[in-house]
This record gives sequence, C-alpha cells and structure tokens, in this order.
Amino acid sequence: MNWLVFWRLARTGLAVWALASGIFLLSHHDLSGAARMATPDAADLPMSGSANPSATQQQATTRAILQRLGAGLPLFYLSRPPAAHPGQWHWNGRRNQYHRWAIALLHGDLGTSFRTGQAVTTQLSNALTLTLPLTGTAAALAVLAAIFLARRLAAGPWWQRPVRTALAGLHALPLFLVALALLLLLANPEALDWFPAYGFDQALDTDADFWTRVATYALHLALPVTALVITALPELTLQLDTALRHELRAGYATTARAKGLAEGAVIRHHAFRNAVLPTLTQVAELLPALVAGAVVVEVVFALPGMGSLLAAAAAARDYPVLVGGVLLTGTARLLALLLADVLYFWADPRIRWHV
Amino acid sequence: MQTPNQASIDANNLLGLSLLQTDATKHENVPSLAKALPSVYLVGDSLTRLDYHIRAAATWDDGRPVLARDVEFSLKLMFCPGLPNESIRNQYRFVQAVLTDPKSPQHFILVCQGQSPEYAHASGDFFVQSEAALDPQGTLRRYSLAELQRRPNTAPADSGLQAVARRYLAAGTAALAAWPGCGPYRLTQWKKDRYLRFQRKPNWWADQLQPVPFVLQAKPKQLDFVIIPDAATATLALRGGELDVYPLMPAREFNRLRHSTAAQAGLRFYTALSHNVVTAGFNTRRPILADALTRQALSRCFDATALLRATQLGDGQRTVGIISPSDRINYNDSLALIPFDLNGAASLLRQAGWRRTTGPAGGWYRPGPSATRQHLQLRVRYRANEDVFATVALQFRAAAAELGIPVLLLPTESGAFSQALQEGDFDVYVRILMGNPFVFNFTPILHTLGVGAGNSTGFSSSRADRLIEAIAAANGPARRARLLHRFQALMQQEAPLVPLFFVSTRVAAGRGLTGLHVNSLKPGYTVAAIERPPTSTPLP
Repeated sequence: MNWLVFWRLARTGLAVWALASGIFLLSHHDLSGAARMATPDAADLPMSGSANPSATQQQATTRAILQRLGAGLPLFYLSRPPAAHPGQWHWNGRRNQYHRWAIALLHGDLGTSFRTGQAVTTQLSNALTLTLPLTGTAAALAVLAAIFLARRLAAGPWWQRPVRTALAGLHALPLFLVALALLLLLANPEALDWFPAYGFDQALDTDADFWTRVATYALHLALPVTALVITALPELTLQLDTALRHELRAGYATTARAKGLAEGAVIRHHAFRNAVLPTLTQVAELLPALVAGAVVVEVVFALPGMGSLLAAAAAARDYPVLVGGVLLTGTARLLALLLADVLYFWADPRIRWHV
Repeated sequence: MQTPNQASIDANNLLGLSLLQTDATKHENVPSLAKALPSVYLVGDSLTRLDYHIRAAATWDDGRPVLARDVEFSLKLMFCPGLPNESIRNQYRFVQAVLTDPKSPQHFILVCQGQSPEYAHASGDFFVQSEAALDPQGTLRRYSLAELQRRPNTAPADSGLQAVARRYLAAGTAALAAWPGCGPYRLTQWKKDRYLRFQRKPNWWADQLQPVPFVLQAKPKQLDFVIIPDAATATLALRGGELDVYPLMPAREFNRLRHSTAAQAGLRFYTALSHNVVTAGFNTRRPILADALTRQALSRCFDATALLRATQLGDGQRTVGIISPSDRINYNDSLALIPFDLNGAASLLRQAGWRRTTGPAGGWYRPGPSATRQHLQLRVRYRANEDVFATVALQFRAAAAELGIPVLLLPTESGAFSQALQEGDFDVYVRILMGNPFVFNFTPILHTLGVGAGNSTGFSSSRADRLIEAIAAANGPARRARLLHRFQALMQQEAPLVPLFFVSTRVAAGRGLTGLHVNSLKPGYTVAAIERPPTSTPLP
C-alpha cells in the first residue's frame, strides 16, 4: 500500500510539473501582451505633454521592456529557426528561459510579478492567508451540514419534501446573487445593518485586544462564509441524500431493519458508508477551490484573496503569478484526486488499485 | 510593472511633490516645489532653456533642503538601467541636461532639445526624489543625463547603477513608510489591494509659507484610501458612513442615491464635466472605410443623444469633437452636432458609390479596384464588461440593421482589445479618449507619425498632419484656439473618429465635508483640501 501511494505521488508530481511547464511555455511563448501592459495606452497620450513617441521609438521601448521581462533569452532548449531556414532546429543549451525558471522553481523561487515587482511566493502566501480560512471554514461547514442534513432527510421525516425543494431552489441560484442578496439584506443601513460590508484587515490592524480582534474577524468573515456554504450545501446534501435512499432500499438495509434496528441506526451503521463514495469525490473537488479562492465572493466582499489575485494576474498578463497560481491549484487538484482514492479505499476495502 | 494608474498618481501626490502642479480651482499649472513657473529662453532654433528656482523653504523629512541636485538625480534615476521606467523615459527624453548653479544650490536650468510651448508644463511634471536618501554615494553623479539616456539596452551591467536601482526598488517595496519625501503625508500603513493610510506630517515645510498656495494645502490629519472592487459594496459602505467620499461613482449607483430621500439626508452629490469622451473610431485602412463619405454616413448611425441619456442618466454632454464643450475658448461651437439620421446616412452612402441590393445576399455593395466588389459589413470591437461601450455598439448595430448593413459585435477582453487595436483587427471600435485642457497634442492619435503606434484608426492626411503640427507649436492661446477650431471642423469632415459625448465625473461625499473642489480634472476632486467641521471619522 505504501509504495502504491508513493508511486501515485510520484506520478502526481510529474503531472503537476508537466502542467506548470506547459503553462510556462505557452505564456512565455509570446510576452508582447505583457509588454503592452507596461506601455501607456494611446488614448491617454494627449495627457502627457511632450510624450510623442514615434512608431520606431515605441518599438524600441517595447524591446527594452521585453528584455527586462526576460524575453532576451530563447524560450526552451530547442528553438525553431527563423523562417529563412526551415527544418533546422537550434539547440540553445542551458541558457534559456525555461531552464532558469525550472532551476529557480526547484529552489522554491517562483520569480517576481511583472506587475508589482513583488516575489510571487510572497503574493501567493499573502493571498492564501486570507483565502484558506475563508474557503476552509466554508468547506468544512458545508460538508458537516450536508452529512447532518442528508442523514436526517434520508430517515424520511415529514419535512423532507419542502426541504428538498428548497435545496434544489438554492442550487439553482448563482453565487453572485446569493452574495449580493446577503450583502443587501444584512449589511445595509436601509435593511438590517448587522455585518460590515468591507474593510477586513483595516479593522484588524487597530490596537484592540485579542478577543475583540477575533470577534471582528468572525464578523467580517460571516457573510462570505455563509454565501459559500449556501451555494455548496445543496449539491452535497442532495447527492448524499439520494445515495442514502438508494442504499436504504437495498437488501442489507432490509435485513438490518428485520434485526430490529431503528432507521437512524441503519443509516449510521450500514447505509452511510456505502452511500458516501460519490460524496468523497465531491469533497475532493472542493479542495482545489480551497486554494483557488472564490473570485465572486472576494469581489463582492472586497476580500483580496487568491481568486482576485489570479483573475487580476490573468487580466494583466502577469505570467509569473499566473504560473505560480496554476502550479498551486494544480497540485491541490491532483493531491485531492489522490486523497479521494485513498478515502475510497478506506470506505470500501473491496476497491483495489491496479497499477 | 504596469503604467501607473490615476489612483497611484493621487497617492504619490501626497508623498512627493513635483516642480509644477495643476491647480484644480484655477484650471492651470502653478508652481509647487518650484518658486515660480520657469522662465523660458529659446536658444537658436532647436534648444530651449527652462530656468527654475526651488522654493527656499522646501525640505526633505530629515530637514535637508530640496536642491537642484535632487532634481538632476530624479531625472537621471528615470534613465537608470534596471528600473521599470521604459515608457516613462520617452516622456522626459527631451530634457538633455540639468545645469546646476554652484552659487545658488536651489537654482537650475533644464536644457531641452527642440522648442515647444508645452515644455514649460511637461518639464515640471515628475516627482522629485531625495538624492541623499536614495544614492548617498552619489553614484549617478558620475554619469551625465545624456550618457544615461543614450545607454543602449545591451550595454554591460554596471555595478554602481545596479546598486542604485536595487536600493530604489528595495525602498519602494519594503520601507515605504520611511520613504524620504517632501510631500505633506507619510504612508503609515498599507496592504496591497486593500487599503492605504496616510498621516499628515506634523511639521511640514509648506505650513510656513504665507499664504499657503492651494496646491500645497493639506488639511486632513489622516487619509484612508480603501479598495472596494464592487460598486454595490462601496455604495453600502458609503451609506453606512464607513466611507466619506466615493469618487468616480458609476452612473447608476449615483443616480439611485441622488434620488433617494434617505441618502440625501447624509450625502451630497457633485458632478463636473470631465475631459474624457466616449468615441467610436473607424479603421481607415480598410478599403470600405477609406473614404470620408462612408465614415460620415456611418457616424450618422450613432444616436448620441439617446446614448447619453441611457448610459449617463442625464449627466455628461454631447460634443462636435474631441475638445470638451467646457473649454469655451477652444471648443468650436459654430459646428453642428452630427445628427442621428438614417436617411441622411443612406444618401451619403449612395454618394460614396454604394448601392443597396435586395434578396438573400442583399446589402450595400460598390465596385472596388481591379473588378472586385466591396461589401459594406462591419465588425465592432469594444472592451467587454463595459456597459457604456456595449450599449453604444448595440445601438449602432440596430441602426445599421435598419439600413441593411450587417454588424458583428466583438466584446473583447481588455488586453486582447489593445492588441487588436494595435494590429488593426477591427472595423469600428468604441472606447474612451482621455483629454485635458492643457495639452493639445494629437500627434499620437491622429498624425501620420502615430500610425503603427497610438493612431489606431490609421488615419493619415497631410492637411491634418500640418494642422496638428501647427497646434503643437502654436504660441499664444488665440492662435491655438483658431487652429483648434479648424482642426475640429476638419475632423468632423474626415470623420476618422466619432466623438459621441463627454462623460461626467461623479463624486458622492458626506454632507459634513467641505472643500472637495469637484472639478473636470483627474481625479475629479482635491483630496488634500477636504475639511470637516469638528467631530467624526476617517476619510475615503
């Protein structure tokens, strides 16, 4: 088993490396988009007095920017020759962008952001400190609530129909609608003004005592976490509920009931473990979202986490940040798949891995 | 690094000072760190000397006076290799040398290549940095400004210059709170993408001036700038009293609050016509759009009045050209606004040689060169996520459809949009052009020299080129105004651009605040002049 896990980990590592390399090569293949972001927009130019760059001067500026961004070196070990000599590939040796990036990556250095000049690792870890508590709390609450609710629903109480309908209704609502509705209902001086609308760490930077800061933190995270839970809950609950009801119709459940077990005990001790398999996959799906952040919630509640960082990096062609983000979320996704496999094995020992 | 946006320029204005600054109350450039506007001396026919004196009272935070050496250092720093200043360098390349005066350390002369009435304004428009703090060894003194300007990208790395660049970058990322400035505020707390907190320096040198010029006034003791990406969230924060000022407010939110009695009780609403104009542009390189008559016809398909009403909700103003109607001297009010007139458009198209055919492949056709047939069909590109541009494009498509011209809309992501514009991959674009009342230099956007750079319409005409050059070189406001009037008439006739309407700057602020001076210049209000009658909380 151990070497199986190790083997899977090695394969995961290789896949992550291939993914990151692919993104790196694709994005750095043409850096002119990034260079364009660093040149002023022509629509702004009448503003700048004597700034009057001719086309040649502008090209020289673009070349200088490209050189700063590292485009002076060839991209990869091999490069295609100019169109004049088709068919002959050129060997560039180790003096190439990919080699430098890979060596730096092995030393834990993801490079510096094109946009801010900050180290990518600093930017990612700053964003993660905000994103992880937010998405982590939301995921944990959603999973716990889903397990609780699905078990109760499967027992067939009188309220199962309206609750299932309500969950299906919630499932149809997009996240931005839920987030905005919460904001307009609960952080609005014209409705209920219970929660702050924004200003997460300004409040934390004040010199208040520990418990006040914890309370402020919780107050600021309450609405975003609720929005995330509300959108994640229906899918998890409905899936688990359906699986449970399916299992409860199986022969072994009938046998358990015939032994005189109460319905709750049948669910807990017999049906749940069999019903939980698809839910494990769903939970594993949540993991990459933990590090990738939730752009919509971050924008609505002015929380600058991973989601907004990566969205802004993509819009600004900030490739080092983007490659770092892909590496991180890719790793999380592949690890999540591995985790799902291990959990499957735990839940149903009949499942075997085939290498 | 990206080009600085307006918000970062505003923040920098609190930390540092430039030689000259724009006075929002007078709408003109006034001396800031400089004692007076520079004296201009023309040397021969290709050089200009600008004579500056720095204010005697001006000091850095450590008490050292601001000297001519600091100005020289700042200009050299722009050209220091290793700093991401490639595009800003183009703006100051015209300054060839800084002549300091051994007898008077606060007096200097800028030697500029060429002669232009705009040099006086442009030469004073950069933040002066402290040489003692950023380059204590005086490394940059070993190089002349011209040497640094001419230094090729491929030149071997110089350890001294690298050290200066590293020191500057380190000061910018790590120790911003200790940034050596001569401005009124200190950045005491900040988190990227979240907020900035500025504290007023208790003893700032300009407080001793009698009287304190408007541009050197700094009234709030503490200023908090917060970044709230979503307009609805920002509006709630404003309504809840967590914000005092909400600048550049979107039209819809602004209008809703302005008409709500509850909001009126706590807030005051300001608007001022900005110098930004929503514009459609034609790709004149396309054979179907190469003639002025076709462009004139298509410009009659924009219903600017209705668009202004729909997108700006009553604010803003229609225009005949790219000069703001609020600029009474230079705006050509003798020209008529382009009407929304589909019959007129159709008759102009016929004059341009187009004939409408019916049937399944119907549309507007005309014979092209070498027995080809041109078909009038258009692709309109605009930035996605911008309601105003989308509305303009949809209205244009609907009007064109009535005439039988097929229009394909291409909402494009911001970066891809810039690329498409540069590569000429569009027929019509919709965007905002940013202007100002000081500089009338249309070379980048409409001169032949700008083709391939900023002139995305590809418009090129010798008459327009001569006029643009004459405007840039015009001395005296009366002559310039005459030329600008002619230019607006020519542009309406040639129609490479269709300026639709100027938009308004919208600012909502707490009722208690005074001294916002909401105006047409960026950022639309003067943050350092805001005052609050005693009692209450932090600022925007």
